[in-house]
This record gives sequence, structure tokens and C-alpha cells, in this order.
Amino acid sequence: MTGEPVTLRVNGAERPVAAVAPWTTLLTVLRDEFGLTGAKRGCNQGVCGACTVTIDGEPVRSCLSLALNCADRDIVTVEGLVPAGAPAGALAPVQQALAEGNAVQCGFCTPGILISAHALLRRNAPLTVDEVRAGLSGNLCRCSGYKKIVEAVVSASEARP
Amino acid sequence: MEFVRPDSIEATVAALQADGAACLAGGATLVAMMNADLVAPHRLVSLRDVAALREAARQPDGTVVVGAMRRHRETAEETDLRDGQLVLSEAAAQIANPPVRNMGTIGGSCAFADPAADYPPALLAADARFSLIGAEGRRTVPAGDFFLDWYETALEPGELIESVVLPPAPARTVGSYTKLARVAGDFAIASVALVLGMDGRACIHLAVAVGACGPAPVRRRDVEADLIGGGLGDTEIRRLTDALAEAFDPVDDVRASADYRRRVAPRMVRQALVEAQQRISETP
Amino acid sequence: MKIADSFVVAAPVERTWRAIRDPQVVGACLPGCEEIEAVSPTLYRARIGVKLGPIAAEFAAEVEVVEEEPPVRVVTVTRGEEGGRASNLRSDNILTLAPADDGGTRVSYEADMTVTGRLAKFGFGVMKKKAQSLASEFAGNLEARVNEAASGG
Repeated sequence: MTGEPVTLRVNGAERPVAAVAPWTTLLTVLRDEFGLTGAKRGCNQGVCGACTVTIDGEPVRSCLSLALNCADRDIVTVEGLVPAGAPAGALAPVQQALAEGNAVQCGFCTPGILISAHALLRRNAPLTVDEVRAGLSGNLCRCSGYKKIVEAVVSASEARP
Repeated sequence: MEFVRPDSIEATVAALQADGAACLAGGATLVAMMNADLVAPHRLVSLRDVAALREAARQPDGTVVVGAMRRHRETAEETDLRDGQLVLSEAAAQIANPPVRNMGTIGGSCAFADPAADYPPALLAADARFSLIGAEGRRTVPAGDFFLDWYETALEPGELIESVVLPPAPARTVGSYTKLARVAGDFAIASVALVLGMDGRACIHLAVAVGACGPAPVRRRDVEADLIGGGLGDTEIRRLTDALAEAFDPVDDVRASADYRRRVAPRMVRQALVEAQQRISETP
Repeated sequence: MKIADSFVVAAPVERTWRAIRDPQVVGACLPGCEEIEAVSPTLYRARIGVKLGPIAAEFAAEVEVVEEEPPVRVVTVTRGEEGGRASNLRSDNILTLAPADDGGTRVSYEADMTVTGRLAKFGFGVMKKKAQSLASEFAGNLEARVNEAASGG
């Protein structure tokens, strides 16, 4: 790969890449260089939301973020929702809620949904159905399984201490 | 393709003075077009580290300067915007969806000038001006002279948007932005931005801009001027919507036919004006 | 995608026909046409640059005259590609000339265009507007050219 070196901070770890071309997106580096295949390449146009990650705490499209523009940022992917050092198989509360609510069908949109939902849940109050729908409006589910996804996120918001 | 990340406006302008140089703002449009193989700039000039472009500030007279790198989410939540200026925050809140609003910027969106985008009509209704900067220095272009044609603006090669400047809105004006779209967050089938001020039954401030009905947002200042001082009932609204409709040049696309846009936009204007008057009359 | 329109030039049908069938005149009037050469009396090659906002494309095009009825009607097919075959264009065009009231000529055109490949991702709504504006620019240029030739004798 031609380009320049960059170090990205992903899920708390500094990860160097030897050469990144200017047009290479964060999504490509996450998947192809780091093997973090949670974020999916759906439309590659910023529409579907399957590639959603957080940068400095805010959900964004990794397919519309150029890797070289992400240096010195805090990037969290779905793989980073569970704190480092947690036992194998441990799930973050939002993951637990989707699993228990049968809110996963084919699973392709799930990583993006989890990231968006996780960001929503940082607000310390129970969420209404409308708030969750608005918060997840940038994540398409091709199986159209929205009802259970929204219910699961609402229940996760109510379950918090 | 090369990638540069200057940290000042001066260095940015210098970096833009090369053939095929393009500003990378939030990336929401440019990177999508690069991914689709539609554009391939020779030099990407990232605006990420130019702190001055990220700020918004309210001046003592009520003028609000919004830096080109302000994200849609920030503009949607901007507390410096008041009265009629709120047309801009209402528009920002209806762009796309939360992740895209965390990325996309007002400068990036306006430079791309999608005819169905939300900022162009809002800025035109707010009588906003663009502050542009290039090798020759700064210049100011009113929103009405900035959006020129399909995806074309007054930006010259080597120039960038530094900020968008909203003049103070007259006290007690209201601003509103309504958009008709297939689903929340899609580009508009048609949209209406308005700033309205009433003194009792008399209209004292009127600005209505329609989006997604032509290459640039459509506004009829001539008719607006005629309506100032009088009432704003069915007849007057009809005069304005007829004049606006004359200036429409909408496209047929996947969102709606040109004919549908011609029919629906005047009704949206009417509804928005009726609702805005109601809001004003209910405000103590 | 179909576009159709007509315009009047202040020159008789015969002279307008000669202008329209002269590749150098057509090339000079066509916005973005960088070069045009006649391969044969019925086949032309041209390079045409088109810009839509940030998107720039340069088409290598061939125009073939498939049917003509001098001096009133010509049917052509334009085929083009750009960006190393990243997109393809085909346009079936019919041009008709008829005497106008004032001794001038009404030129009517119809074009049925298809674009495939990368440019098609941009959507046809605005592309059609762009095609219409290029066509009307062409009409204006041709009109000026024919009128100029007429006044210059």
C-alpha cells in the first residue's frame, strides 16, 4: 500500500499502520489492517449505518472518515464495547439487551446499531420509543427488524441503575 | 493524491492554490463521492485542525458567525441563534441522521450545494452571507448570490468558505424550516424556510425560501416587499406562492416528479406561513 | 432520458443545414467540445468535456449519421465513454429543420440518452437539467454563428 504511516487509537490501543493512502477510509483500515470486522461495509456511502463507530465518543460513519484524518482521535468499534479484561463471552449491557430481546436477525446491521444505541444510552434517563427511533434513524436494518431492536434499546435504558 | 492537514487559515489557503486541490471538511459528501469513484482530488486539504473554522459566536448586535467547520449537530443545538435565526438550527436538525450530523459541516454542505440540501433555503431566508477567503483575500457573498446553479456556487478555485454570517433577526420574528421527505433524514422532496415578523395583523418581516425546487433555493423578494405592512391572509399568501411557483425549475428524480414538487411546494409554503402566524399570535 | 426543444435561427433552411452538417461549426458551438474530426462524411469523432459541480468527465465520442434527408432532417447516434470506460453514454438524436415565419429556420431536436457506469450513480434528475442547459447553450451558439455568417455575407 502506498501512502504515509499513521497511528490510530482504537478501543484504547495505539495501532500503527505502515502506509495508508489518502483515499483509504477508516473502515478499510479497521477491517483489512486490524482485522476488526465488526464494522461492516454496506453501502460505502454513509447511508446504511453498518460501518458506524464512535470517534471521540460520537457515532460517525467509518466509511466516510479518511484514516489519515483520524490520527489522535479515540476510535471505538463494536469490539470495544466490552471493557478490556472482561471474561470471554462477556457482553455490554446494550449487547445483552439485543440478545435477550431477539433483536438480531441476519446480524449485518447489528454492530452499527449497537454503536448508535450505546451512544444513546449514555444519556442517563429512560428513553422513549420515539427517542430511540430518532437515535437509530441512521442505521438501516435490511431484515426490517426494527420493532424488536427499538424495544430492546428502550428496555436497556430502563434497566440502568 | 496527497493529503495535507494545515493548522491555520493562511496555510489552508496556500495549500488550496494547486490544481485539483479540494477541502476535506466533515467528509460526509466528499468521501462518499470518492468512494463512488465520482471525484479524485489531487490534493486533499483537511480542515480538521483549523480551530478558527470550528467556532460560532454571537456579536453584541446579534449577528451570528458560524464557522465553516461547525457540524450539523452543533448548529442544531446552537444557543447563539435567536428569533428568526432559528430557521438555521431547525434546518440543521433535519439533516440526515445523528452519525451524519456528527460529521457533516455547514461549509462542506454549502460548498457542495446539493439542490435538495437543507441549508441553502434556510440561509437564504435568514439573509445570511458567506465569508470566503482565497489567495486574493476575503470577500463576502450574500446567500442569494452564492448558490448559482446545479451544484455550482460562487466559490472560485483556491477559495474556501470561512464562515456563514447571519445578520441579527428583527426582535419577535420567528424562523421555521419544514421539509417533506420520503423518510426522516432523506434529502428534501421540497422544503420551506421562512422568517416571519408580525405586528398585530400587519406583516413586518417576511422571507420565504423554497428548497429542492430548482438549481438554487427560490425566493421572491419583490413580492415579499409588496406584502410588508399589510395583512397575510389567503390572498396575500396566494400572491407569494404563485410568484414562487413561477420561479420553480424542479427535477424529476427518485424522490418525486417535477410536477409533484410544483404542486406540493406552494401548499407547504401556505401551511408554514399559517403555522408561523399562529405561533406568533400565541406568543405573549 | 429524453430531451426535446426547438429554436429559431435567422437564416434560411439551406444555410442552416450547411452549418449543422459542418463538423467544425458543430464542434465550435458544442459546449465543452475540445476537438472534432471527420472520419468520413457520416462519422465524426470528438472529445467533449462535461462538468457538473465537482464532477468532471471527458468523453471520447463518436457521432454517426444514420439517416439524412437534406435539408430538413438528420438522425444521428452518439456513443461515448469516459474515464477509461468508467461510464458509457449513448444518445439517439433527431434534428429537423423547417422554415419559420420570418424567413428564418426552426430547428427542432429530440435526444434519447442513456448513461451507464460511474456517472449514472449521480442520478438522472440533475443530469437531465444539465443536458437541457448544454443543448440550449448549443442552440444559442449556433444561432449566433449562423447569424454572424449571414450578416458577414
